[in-house]
Amino acid sequence: MLLAKTLTSSTFRLALIAIGTFGVIVSAIFSYVYLSTSAYVRSRSDRAIVSEYLSLKSAYERSGRDGLIALIQERIADSSFADNVYILADPSSVTLAGNLKVWPSTATAPEGWIEFRAGEPLPNAANRPLLRAMLGTFPSRDRLLVGRDISELDGFADQIKTAVISGIVLIFLLAGVASILVTRRTVGRIESINATSRAIMQSGLDQRIPLRGTHDEWDRVAENLNLMLDRIETLMGEVRQVSDNVAHDLRTPLTRMRGRLEKAYHGQRISADDQALIGDTITDLDAVLRIFSSLTRIAQIETQARKGAFRTVNLVEIAGEVVELYDAAAEQVGTCLAVVGDREALVTGDRDLIFDAIANLVDNAIKHGRARGQVVVANENIDGKQVISIADDGPGIPAHEYEQVFKRFYRLEHSRYTPGNGLGLSLVAAVAHLHGARIEMLDNSPGLKLRLWFSPPVR
Amino acid sequence: MTGSHRRILVVEDDPETAGQLVESLTSNGYKVDLATNGSDALSRGAAGDYAVITIDRMLPDIDGIAVMRQLRDDGIAAPVLIVSALGEVDDRVRGLRAGGDDYLVKPFSFVELVARVEALGRRSDTIVKETILRVGDLALDLVSRTASRRGKDIVLFPREFQLLEYLVRNEGRIVSRAMLLQHVWDLHFDPSTNIIDVYVGRVRRKVDGQQAYPLIHTVRGTGYCLRAPG
Repeated sequence: MLLAKTLTSSTFRLALIAIGTFGVIVSAIFSYVYLSTSAYVRSRSDRAIVSEYLSLKSAYERSGRDGLIALIQERIADSSFADNVYILADPSSVTLAGNLKVWPSTATAPEGWIEFRAGEPLPNAANRPLLRAMLGTFPSRDRLLVGRDISELDGFADQIKTAVISGIVLIFLLAGVASILVTRRTVGRIESINATSRAIMQSGLDQRIPLRGTHDEWDRVAENLNLMLDRIETLMGEVRQVSDNVAHDLRTPLTRMRGRLEKAYHGQRISADDQALIGDTITDLDAVLRIFSSLTRIAQIETQARKGAFRTVNLVEIAGEVVELYDAAAEQVGTCLAVVGDREALVTGDRDLIFDAIANLVDNAIKHGRARGQVVVANENIDGKQVISIADDGPGIPAHEYEQVFKRFYRLEHSRYTPGNGLGLSLVAAVAHLHGARIEMLDNSPGLKLRLWFSPPVR
Repeated sequence: MTGSHRRILVVEDDPETAGQLVESLTSNGYKVDLATNGSDALSRGAAGDYAVITIDRMLPDIDGIAVMRQLRDDGIAAPVLIVSALGEVDDRVRGLRAGGDDYLVKPFSFVELVARVEALGRRSDTIVKETILRVGDLALDLVSRTASRRGKDIVLFPREFQLLEYLVRNEGRIVSRAMLLQHVWDLHFDPSTNIIDVYVGRVRRKVDGQQAYPLIHTVRGTGYCLRAPG
């Protein structure tokens, strides 16, 4: 998991680019070292051949063919010239002296450099060594070839080559491992920040990003984010305090007002007209108070305080009770209300709140569905989740309004004049959020199907 | 019912709400004492023999629940009705209903308050084990779970029977919608729709339809009352 995140992280990609660039440069430098080293070694050997050729040539010029033959034999006998090969041949390429018996067939030019494999083994060398030689033709048309065994030079170059290549591979390997380790550490820190953010979104502002006490830049980021969270928590607390106070301060006079109206309503000398007027006022006041308590209730659910009272409840049982309660209301508009699906769907939650949420959804389905229509409450287990769906066959909701309807006081154009205060779905959303349940809206064609995805209880 | 069982202690710091509380309880035949803070409530509660004590959750000196705890520790067994703003309804307050006490969320109707006080006060009355409940010509057989009027059976769903039984047991008293939700459906929240009215409407059609007189009466803005005429 962490490894996968490491390999896809941008830090790792940057590291790869850096390793690539660095690798190309290192390879270029190493290749240059290799090439110049092998060229230097070869030129040293060439210079030795040239000087030997020149000294033999001057011996020929000084003391003729016989003198040179004697010198060559002297050289062959001398162990310090063991790496050298010599051939002195007459114009018809018959060997006169030397440690190679046959004039190489490739050496046809009158003078110059050749490289060839010896036709026979040499005393101090490997089998048929690779030779490099300088050849020349004297005015008498005798031909001289002076060369050296360069097998060892090639071996040396190969060693350098191996060292260079393994060096490059090692560098790439180490850089790769180092970048994975460094990226992993970075990703680890970012993941802990991400995990805390997710926890905050799910359960409230009381969580903080853990510090490692290393006082590095990550700790500073975490510290600043924590300070920001402290600030947000304080502000939220203040806002809640203010709205609580407003709610409380408004409720007290409203309670008194309702008390007075009630007293007037039950008064002795009151005309029927006045009584009706006061009765209507009480009804309106109750509607205002209901909006108030719905708002406070939603706010209270959003504080997550009720999570403490969670226990295992059976969704199907609750759905059944809701359907039973709404049976009469459905009957009134001729709608068929049914509950189908599994017999048991256990979730962890608050029965009253889940009941309230499902009740709101069923209420909506009956109110906004088709008269003499059908409302189906279904319980299913999909991919290990407990899913409860409420479907009607009414006009439905346009897809672009799906998100809007959960906002407080939001009402669809065509339902503006039906009873309700636009808080029902906000409450459903708050309850779903408290339970970590996902809300999904689907086109039931015709109608609306709303699904609540609950996670099964943790055992 | 003895005299002491009509005595109520009201603990409320807001003078006007207190005045209205005292007045509506007095007009329902209760003798009401008023305490305006926690310590006053403790001394009065310990001295008097009250049928019910109502306590505002937010008192100037002590938390209403703490007052209730202290009274219990002092050996006062009278049932308590905590009056609480919705924002103050936490687990401790919700737990009251399980323990035989009750709570009421502000703002409330005074009829609702009186109904709750009546229900709490009745706890101390002796409960007679009966198998058949009768109101007027309505008879409820609690063993076979059947209802009939003038000997003619009324077909009811189990939940409808439960609702009718609760109304009959509270004959002559006002039963609020919240009380019905609480006792018939075991739901502890206040309904935000008229769903209870629709449900009671159906029960009423079954019970009162084509009868000589209605038994179930609507109390405007509050709930229902089941009573025989006369």
